[in-house]
Amino acid sequence: MGLREYIVRRILQLVFTLWAFVTLLFVLFRMVPGDPTTRFVMEYPTPEAREQRVEELGLNEPLYVQYVEYLGQLLRGEFGDSTHYREPVSELIFPLFLNTVVLMFTALIIAYTFGVLFGAAMGWLRGSRFERGGIVATLVARSSPEFWIGVILVWIFVFQLGVLPRSGIGAHGGELTMNVVDRYVNVDFLRHLILPALTGAIYYMATPALLMRNTMLEVLKADFIEIKKAEGLPERTVLYKHAARNSVLPLVTVVAIATGAAMGGSVIIETVFNWPGIGREMVASVTRNDYPVAMAAFFLMGTAVIVMNFVADLAYLYLDPRVKYE
Amino acid sequence: MRSNSRRSFLRSVGAAGAIGTAALAGCVGIDGDEDEDLGEPFPEIQFVFQTSGASPDRNELGHLIADNFEEVGFEVDRQERDFDPLVQQTVVEQDFDVSLLGWGGTPERIDPHIFLMDMHHSDYTDEGGRNTPGYENPEYDELAEAQAREVDEDARRDLVFEAQEMLSEDQPRCYIANEGGDQPYNAERLDSVNPTLGEGLNGFWNFMELEPADGVDEVYFGYGADIISLNPMQDMATPDRQFIRLLYDQLYRFGEDGEPIPWLAVDEPEISDDGTAFTVEIREGHTFHDGEDVTVDDVEFSFDLFAEHSPTYQAYLDGIEEMETSGNEITFHLEEPDATFLSNALAQIYVFPEHIWSEVDDPSEEGDDEYIGSGPFEFEDWEREVELQLGRFDDHFQPPNVDRLIRIPGDADTLIDQIEAHEIDMFGNEPTPTQADRIADDPDLGLATFQDVGHLKLSYNMRRDHMDDVHLRRAMSYCVPKETFVEDIRGGMGTVTHSPISEAVENWHNPDVRQYNDDLEAAEEELEAGGYEWGSDGRLYYAE
Repeated sequence: MGLREYIVRRILQLVFTLWAFVTLLFVLFRMVPGDPTTRFVMEYPTPEAREQRVEELGLNEPLYVQYVEYLGQLLRGEFGDSTHYREPVSELIFPLFLNTVVLMFTALIIAYTFGVLFGAAMGWLRGSRFERGGIVATLVARSSPEFWIGVILVWIFVFQLGVLPRSGIGAHGGELTMNVVDRYVNVDFLRHLILPALTGAIYYMATPALLMRNTMLEVLKADFIEIKKAEGLPERTVLYKHAARNSVLPLVTVVAIATGAAMGGSVIIETVFNWPGIGREMVASVTRNDYPVAMAAFFLMGTAVIVMNFVADLAYLYLDPRVKYE
Repeated sequence: MRSNSRRSFLRSVGAAGAIGTAALAGCVGIDGDEDEDLGEPFPEIQFVFQTSGASPDRNELGHLIADNFEEVGFEVDRQERDFDPLVQQTVVEQDFDVSLLGWGGTPERIDPHIFLMDMHHSDYTDEGGRNTPGYENPEYDELAEAQAREVDEDARRDLVFEAQEMLSEDQPRCYIANEGGDQPYNAERLDSVNPTLGEGLNGFWNFMELEPADGVDEVYFGYGADIISLNPMQDMATPDRQFIRLLYDQLYRFGEDGEPIPWLAVDEPEISDDGTAFTVEIREGHTFHDGEDVTVDDVEFSFDLFAEHSPTYQAYLDGIEEMETSGNEITFHLEEPDATFLSNALAQIYVFPEHIWSEVDDPSEEGDDEYIGSGPFEFEDWEREVELQLGRFDDHFQPPNVDRLIRIPGDADTLIDQIEAHEIDMFGNEPTPTQADRIADDPDLGLATFQDVGHLKLSYNMRRDHMDDVHLRRAMSYCVPKETFVEDIRGGMGTVTHSPISEAVENWHNPDVRQYNDDLEAAEEELEAGGYEWGSDGRLYYAE
């Protein structure tokens, strides 16, 4: 089987997975009791006012009609209107999605850069006090809930040192702009970014660190490392150029999936730091029965995971000649 | 408490007895045949209340009530729900025996009409209607209708008092507490705040009258939820209305005591002798934020707009037969006399600029992105989940003291932290007792105390045969630890109530209704009076 055929087949699988995913989401959300007007029941002066609303939202149509309509919409690349906010879903979630991407990428870059280097060092220095201390530290970080890490950081940097802002993405009362440069490239934004990004980084760092250490231990047993050492190369070169490079492979999958999942944001970090992101919105839209927003948010996140998985598979083909497309 | 500990004792003996019986099976005949002369056991109570995630206070109260129910011999199915599913199940599907839910207190509810009429009149018992218990009492209906027609205040008060007495005797609901409480603010940046009845720092008169300290021109107001929409042609929650009314004016505004006072109107409405025509004269020279004059044509246009499109206000405008304008006056001709027209319509419908909204094709789908009104604040900018920015409308006839008002939505605990970090100035929700203690310890922060108009209550589903017994409902109401809820769970915030009309509404609150305090002995007496009996296991049975 050729490369092209393999890719085509994988894409077909991908489309099927997405369809199954969307259908499952559709059914799941409709199974939740209530509908988007439930929240306002006590605001409507009469039950008729509410029924009229349900009709306007098209929710009195049979479920299969709504389903076909939704699929059609999705194929046209539309997410419809939020039933809660009554505005287009895309306009609503775009800024939130962007905020999440900025936060999560910063956290992941810090986590994976330091995690990989740290893990490599732990593997290399096997049996040392550094390794033992390192493992304890990573396990503590891994098992601390995100909100707890966040609260500790807030206590230190906001309430004790008073050097960083508590929450939000900018100083209150400032200009509200959708221009990406004006929005994200300024000192005020960076100051607001530090604590939530650090919280995420600490939490996510353990996975690459431990994984890197484990594969390092495998690789270090390999003959070519002995040979490289015998060649008289400096230790640092053997560690980072040869051993670490060969240990990175399993991380590719992990990075890909983590990136995909990160698109869904972190509800906890976003809540603790009042970060206007997609994760919080996703949870809120589910509790409000705002089907279009919930569907869109889950769809984006799910798609990102599915696509990134695909990318990881392709990357394997390139990175590791032993992997065959079968 | 004597008798209920007896019952706990009996129940544990019953359990031990069962084990003993099993162990000694066949040896001694000690079967509990004393229960044989009892009737059917009382069915399990389906009690629906909020989860601890949705409301920790109410969840805790729910469990205490359920414990007491069990103590007097009920079997209880505790169904904990998030807010939406709870409303869906109890208010819409009416699938409950007992439910625990609150009613918010907004200025239009200071007048007793909505609590007496919508919540207890038999016209409102349909699915989704406000009379959740399904209370149908023709005598009560007459009272509720009579108070709505009565224009003489003293005579109306007599009727309102009588209605409260009847509700307390019949107990379609158990009125528990007006939650009220303390809301934090930064006393260093604000010289004074004005927490208002029912709404605290969210009140209109707070935003109008709060005094910033010297050098403070922006005030940051935090609230635990974002605005859903500033377009009243769409669904609205209370926080939405609290900001829409800053941007738009009404003919009359609710004053701090809940009485409508002339606002865009020059004076009280002139009411024709037969009570079917209301004539209102509006101010001259007032403009919208874009500089255009506010005219009676805008008023007429707005009443038409709301009548056609607003899900919340439509129903209040049904009775308008026609409107007539001349000069600065507009006359509303009603189909029949209506004493509530001033507070339900004239004091609630916002005046929208005709020159902008007449261009909008479908007002419930889209609106005016600049939110041009004629209110004391004008719209500046808004990003969802980030903040809403308003500025003072300098040309208003009653401008606020503050230059800019910034509304920040978010998680309540995070916003409390922001108050403590001095990053925001006011918070429109109540802190937990622990948070309130910390805030009280900070000399720069203050707590603004307010009383609530709304109330927390149990509803009894009277549509179900087993719930349609006044002795039973009274007994259940005696199981509600109202005092514990206010003093211990809420740290002293709020007041215990026995009537749907808050004691803070002094003019209408009847203090002499029958009271239901936490008293399990009284509950048992009521049950005995209702002809219920207890089995040897302590469980409640119908009498044979």
